[in-house]
Amino acid sequence: MASSQHVLLSPAELAYLHASLSLIPPIRPDGRSPTQFRPLVAETGILPGTNGSARICFADGTEAIVGVKAEVERTALRPGEDTIYLEEGGLEGGDDGEEGSSEDKRKGDASWVEMTVEIPGLRDDDSGTAFLSAMLSEALLADGEFARRLWINRRFHWKLYLDIILISPPLSYPLPLLSLTTHLALLSTRLPRLKSEGDEDPFFDDDWAAAPYLFPRSSETSAHTTTSTTSTSTRPPITLLVMAVANNIIFDPSKEELAVADAALAVSVTSTSSHTTTADADPIRQAQAQEQEEKEGRNLRLLSIRTIDPPSRLTPPGVANAANAAYGASLGASGQQPQQQQQKSTAVVPVMASETEAVEGVWRPPRGGAKRAVLGALVQKVLEGGGVVDEVLDALEGVDLG
Amino acid sequence: MASLKRSLDSDPLAANISSKVYVRSTKSGKVQKIVREVYLRQDIPCSSKLCRRCLNTSPRDAAGQPRPFVLSEAPAGTSVFQQGHYLVPDTNAFLTAMDLFEQDSAFYDVIVLQIVLEELRNRSLPLYNRLISLTKSEEKRFYVFFNEFRLETHVTRQDGESVNDRNDRAVRKAVAWYGEHLAGTGAPKVPAVVMLTNDRDNLRKAKAEKIPACSLAQYVNQLKDAEALLDMIPDTEDQETIIKDKRPGDPLYPEYFTISKLMTGVKNGLLHQGIFNVSLYNYLEGSIRVPAFPKPLIILGRENINRSIDGDLVVVEVLPKDQWKEPSTQVIEEDAVTKNENPDAEETGDIVSEKERKTLQEEVKRTQNKTTEGHAQPTAKVVGVVKRNWRQYVGHIDQSSVSQSSQQGRKQDTVFVIPMDKKIPKIRLRTRQVAELVGKRILITIDTWDRSSRHPTGHFVRSLGELETKAAETEALLLEYDVQYRPFPKTVLDCLPKEGHDWKVPGSVDDPGWRDREDLRGLLICSIDPIGCQDIDDALHSRPLPNGNIEVGVHIADVSHFVKPNNAMDTEASIRGTTVYMVDKRIDMLPMLLGTDLCSLKPYVERYAFSVLWELSPEADIVNVRFTKSVIKSREAFSYEEAQLRVDDHSQQDELTTSIRTLLALSRKLKQKRLDAGALSLSSPEVKVQMESETSDPIDVKTKELLDTMSLVEEFMLLANVSVARKIYDAFPQTAILRRHGAPPKTNFDELANQLRVKRNLDLSVESSRALADSLDACVDPSEPFFNTLVRIMATRCMMAAEYFCAGTQAYPEFRHYGLASEIYTHFTSPIRRYADLMAHRQLAAAIGYEGLHPAVRSRGRLEAVCKNINVRHRNAQLAGRASIAYYVGQALKGRSEAAVEDGFVLKIFSNGFVVLVPRFGIEGLIRLRDLAEPEPAAEFDAETYTLKTRGSREVTVELFGKVRVNVMDQKDEVTGKRGVKMELVSVY
Repeated sequence: MASSQHVLLSPAELAYLHASLSLIPPIRPDGRSPTQFRPLVAETGILPGTNGSARICFADGTEAIVGVKAEVERTALRPGEDTIYLEEGGLEGGDDGEEGSSEDKRKGDASWVEMTVEIPGLRDDDSGTAFLSAMLSEALLADGEFARRLWINRRFHWKLYLDIILISPPLSYPLPLLSLTTHLALLSTRLPRLKSEGDEDPFFDDDWAAAPYLFPRSSETSAHTTTSTTSTSTRPPITLLVMAVANNIIFDPSKEELAVADAALAVSVTSTSSHTTTADADPIRQAQAQEQEEKEGRNLRLLSIRTIDPPSRLTPPGVANAANAAYGASLGASGQQPQQQQQKSTAVVPVMASETEAVEGVWRPPRGGAKRAVLGALVQKVLEGGGVVDEVLDALEGVDLG
Repeated sequence: MASLKRSLDSDPLAANISSKVYVRSTKSGKVQKIVREVYLRQDIPCSSKLCRRCLNTSPRDAAGQPRPFVLSEAPAGTSVFQQGHYLVPDTNAFLTAMDLFEQDSAFYDVIVLQIVLEELRNRSLPLYNRLISLTKSEEKRFYVFFNEFRLETHVTRQDGESVNDRNDRAVRKAVAWYGEHLAGTGAPKVPAVVMLTNDRDNLRKAKAEKIPACSLAQYVNQLKDAEALLDMIPDTEDQETIIKDKRPGDPLYPEYFTISKLMTGVKNGLLHQGIFNVSLYNYLEGSIRVPAFPKPLIILGRENINRSIDGDLVVVEVLPKDQWKEPSTQVIEEDAVTKNENPDAEETGDIVSEKERKTLQEEVKRTQNKTTEGHAQPTAKVVGVVKRNWRQYVGHIDQSSVSQSSQQGRKQDTVFVIPMDKKIPKIRLRTRQVAELVGKRILITIDTWDRSSRHPTGHFVRSLGELETKAAETEALLLEYDVQYRPFPKTVLDCLPKEGHDWKVPGSVDDPGWRDREDLRGLLICSIDPIGCQDIDDALHSRPLPNGNIEVGVHIADVSHFVKPNNAMDTEASIRGTTVYMVDKRIDMLPMLLGTDLCSLKPYVERYAFSVLWELSPEADIVNVRFTKSVIKSREAFSYEEAQLRVDDHSQQDELTTSIRTLLALSRKLKQKRLDAGALSLSSPEVKVQMESETSDPIDVKTKELLDTMSLVEEFMLLANVSVARKIYDAFPQTAILRRHGAPPKTNFDELANQLRVKRNLDLSVESSRALADSLDACVDPSEPFFNTLVRIMATRCMMAAEYFCAGTQAYPEFRHYGLASEIYTHFTSPIRRYADLMAHRQLAAAIGYEGLHPAVRSRGRLEAVCKNINVRHRNAQLAGRASIAYYVGQALKGRSEAAVEDGFVLKIFSNGFVVLVPRFGIEGLIRLRDLAEPEPAAEFDAETYTLKTRGSREVTVELFGKVRVNVMDQKDEVTGKRGVKMELVSVY
C-alpha cells in the first residue's frame, strides 16, 4: 500500500479539490476546518485479557483495535554486571529519592517492545505495513523514555507486545487512527504491582485493581511524584498526519484530500509536563510548578518526523484544453507518415508546457520535494501551544479508562 | 471530537454476567492477568429444609432428584438466638478456630460461603481439607453455599475497595440474603442467620446494616459449655491490645526475608532451603541438610534458629567464617534451662535469657580452649520459613509455670505446655481451665510465633485424660505419630464380603472365585509366626522333586481378592499405610474381619493365597520360579518356639517336620549367600514387654530371643520379595512398586569410624556394604561380647532409611537395597499389614495375566503419592511402636519395689554428661554431671579421646563404649510433672 489506495478521481476533480483546499480559508470536502479532526468514537478496556486495549472508530468507518500484553522477561546481563546484591534490596525505596542514582539504573532497550501491525488484505511484510509499524514504534522508542518504564530491576524487565489491528478496510491512510488507538491503549495499560525489592526475582501483587498504570494519570502523578522519575506526566506519543496544500496546512486529511497534497508529514510528538523537578520534596515549589503547568498547558516535544509520499504524485496529470487534441489543439488529422511524426513531436510540447507552468484549473501532480519553509511551517503548526495536539490529547484523556 | 464508552446496558443478559480479574504468577516466573467470567444464576439452593421454593428450583441430577438439603429445619438455639440459628463464619473464624467447628457439642448448621472456602484454601491447605471433611460429614450439617454464583449474593468490587473489604461485604450480603430468604419461607420459627467474625470493622458494619453478627468469643459465651470452648479460641483480640499497649520496637527475633527475596536467594545459591531438624540433646542446636553441601549446616542459638520448629521447611543463610562453630558437645535441655520462666511476663529484655547466655559462655570458653580450629563447622541462620510443619502436639502443663492464684478461679491464665516431643519448644497457652488441665495429657496446636515472643503461642484443643493412665498415654502416642486410630467408617465396612465370618472358599471349582487359581490344597503347608499371631500373612511348604531338586512354596494371603482398587476400603488402607503394633494394642490397616479371619492363612481351613513356587537345587540356587493365585489349606500354625522344638526333637519324623527341616537347611544356605554378597546384619535393641494376662499390666521386660525358625521364615520371605520384585519390574518398568535402601553417605560414618579408631584401634571401612559387613564382624572385644552388638546398633543409626518408590523415579543402579545387598527388592509378603505389599500383589497379578491392571495402580503420579505416604506412615508406625515399648518399660520399672541395677554401655559423651544404653531394657538414658553428685563435680572433657574425667565431689572416668553399672528407675520430675526413665551411675567397670 502506498499512503492510500488509489484514488478514483479524475484530473479535473483533483484540480478542483486542490483549488478549493488552496483557498484561504480552505474549503474541505467534508466541511471541516483545517485543524479539525474527523469525529471519532473511542473506548478502552475492550479486551479483558490484555493489560490495556482500546478501540477507535473514525466517522468515515475506519476502525482499529490495539491490545497491549506484558510479559516478565529476564534482562540479558552484560559482562561485569552479574553480581546480584540482595542486601541492597531494602535500600532501594529510599534510593529513589536522589534521582541521580536511580536514573542511571533504569535503562531501557528497544527490544523490550514488540509491535505488530495488521492491515486487512495486506501481508504483514508488505512495505506499507512495515513502514507504518516502523513509524509507530519509532515514535514510541525515539527518546528512550518509554522503554525505561518497562524496567523492573537490573535482572528483569517487562516485555510489551503491542498488537495493532485495523479491522476495517483502509479507507484512508490509517496512520493517525493507529497512532491514536495505540496511544489510548497505552494510556489504559496497567502492569501488576511489584512487591519484591531490589534485584530479587520479581514478585507481584495478585490484586489487579492495585496494578498501577504504565502512564500514571496526572491526578495520580502528583501523589506519586516523590517516588517516580522526573517524567511522570509524560504521555505516550501520538503521530499526526499533516499536509500542506499551497499555503494551507491541513490536519487529518481524508483520502481524497491526501490525493492532492503538496506535501505530507507524519509528525510524532509527546507531551511532558512543564516542570522537570517532580521529585522535588518541597510541596510549595511543587505546587508552584503545577500552577505553572496549568498556565502553560503541556510541553510538547517533537519526537520524529517522516515525510509521507502523498498519492498525489502518482495521479495522472490533467491536460489543458490548449494542449488537448480532442479540442483540436494543434493539428488536424490529415497526412500519413510525416504527420504522424510531426504529431508526435508536437504532442510533446504541450505536455511539457503543462508540467512546467501551471494552467488554472488543470491538475498538475506535485513534483520534487517539499519546500523547507513548508516543512518548517508544518512542524511549527503541530507544536503550537493550544493547537490540534492539545485538542487531541485532551479528548483522549477524556476517555474513560475503566 | 467525541468519545464514548459503550455501555453494557444494551446487553439484556449483562446482569447475569460478571467477571473476576486477578494476576497469576506461575512457577516459571510468568505473570498473567486472568479474567474469569462469572455467570450468575438463581437456582442455587439455600439448602435449608425449611425452604420449599429452593427445593422446587434447585438443579436435579440425572435421576431427576435434587440433592438433599443440609441445614436442619429446627436448628439449635443459643441464649441470644433462642429461635434457633444458622452460622455463617468468615475466613478468619475458620483460620483461627477450626478446632471449635470440629466440636461435637456445638457448631451445627453452618453455612460455609464459597468465598470463605476459597480464601481458606489459599491461606491454609490443611485447614481447608479439614473443613471439606466437615462439609462431607452428615451429622455436622455444614453446607457450602456458592454465594459468588448466585445473582442475589454476588458482589462486584467497588472502586478503591480492598479485596478483603469486598469479601467481607460479600459475607455480609450473603448473611443478609439468607435472613430475608428464610423470612420469606413463612416458617413459624425462622432461625436467625448469624455472622461469625473477629474482625471489628466487619462487626461494626454488620451492626450498621442490622445483620446479626457475633465475635467468636461472644458467640461461644452464649453456648452451654462456654468455658471449655473458650480456650479453643486463640486470643487474637487480646493480643492486639497487648501489642498496642506495648512499646513498639522490641522484637526479639530478626524479621524474615520477603518471599521473593528468599526465592531469588535460593535460586542463585546464596540462600539454602531445607528441613530444619533439632538436635535430640540440645534444643538450642539444629541442623539442616541442604542439597548444596555434603554435610548438614549447623544452626546454633535461639536467634539463629529464629522461630523455626522441628520439621519446618526453612531457608538459611550461611554465616561468615568467624562465626563457624563446632557442634556442641553439651547437653542442653530446655526444661532445665528455662525452668522458672514466667509465662505471663512479656519478655522485654533480650531473646536469650540469662541462663541460656551462661550455658553459651561455657560453650565459647570450651571452643576457644581448643587449638585445633579445623573442627569448626559452617553454621547458618534461618532467614525465612517456606512452610510450617506445625501439627497438633501432645503435651502437659508445666506445673512450675502455674501461678498459685490460677489454681482456683476462672480467669484466663497463661501457662507453658511442655510437648511430649523433646524437639518441640515450650508452647505458651492461655486457658481458663488451668485447674482442670494440670496433670492431664492435653492436645494443643501452635497458632503463631511472633517476633516479640520468646515462645510460640498456642491454644488448647482437648484433653486426653490423666497423665500416665494407659488410655491417655496410648492415645497420646497415636496422636503424636499421626496414626489413624479411629474405627473404620461404615463406607469401609460396606466393602467387606456380605457373608462375614461365614465366608468360605467356594466348594465348586467352577465358581468364578476359582478362575485361574491352582488347587494347592493337597500340599503340606504350615505357617510359623510369633505367639498369638492372628493376622497370618504367610505360609510355607517344601517337597522333594523327582530330579533331586526341591520345590519350595511361599503362600501369601490373597488380600487383593478382597480389597478392590479404589473403593472406600482401599482408600482407607492406603491412608493408613500400615498396621501399627503397640505393646497392648494393634491398629489395623484393614478391618478385623479380613485381617484376622478371611485373609489370614489360618490352619485347617481353605484360604485364597498368592503363591510363589520355586524349584531350588540342593545348594539353594533358583532353577525356576513361578507365581500363581491358589487355594491352600494350612496344616498347622506354629509359633517360632513350637516349630523350633519340633525341629530339634529328632523323634519327630513326620512329613511336615521333615519339610520344615528341609526349609531350615535351605534357609541357612540362602543366608550364607546373602552374607557373602555383603548383606549387613544390623542390630537395634529389641525387647519384649511381658504383660500380666488379666490386667495387662506390664510385669517384666525381656530381650527378644533369636531362633533359627525366625531366620527360616525371614530368608524365604526375602527370597519371595526379590523374586516378585524382578517379575513386576520386568512387567512394569515404570510403575513397579519397589523398595530401596540407599547407600549411606560416607560422612555419616565419619564419627563412628573415628571413635572406633581412637578407642579400640579398630578400622571401619565403608566403601561397600560388603566391606562394612566385614569390618563390623571384626569389631569384637573378646572381653565384652556385647561390644559387637553395640557397634552394630551405632552403625545402624548412621544408615539411611529404606523407602518405597516407583520404579520410574530412579535409575536401575539406585534400586539397590544396601542392607540386604540385593539389586532389587520389594515388599510382597505382608499384605494384611502393609499397603505396599497389596499394591505389589495387584501388579504381580497383572504381570502374570490374572487380571488387568487397574488405572489406579498404573498412574505413576498416584503411585508416587501413595509411596510418599506409606513411607511416612511406615516410619511413624515404627516410632510409635518403640515409644510404646519405652513407655511400658517405664511402667514395668515403676511396678518394682527396688531399683534395677543393670549393666550399660556408654553410647555418647558430652562435656557435661553421657548417654548410657541398657541392653536389658533396650532403653537409653542421659546421665548428667550434676546427677553424679551434689555439688556438681568439676569435669574435664577430652573430645579427642572421648573421655570425661570428673574431679571433686566424685571422681570417675567415663569413656565411650565403656561398660558401666547403672541404677535404672522411673522418676517423675516434681517441677515439670514429666515422667521418664532415670539412670544413676553406680560404678564404672
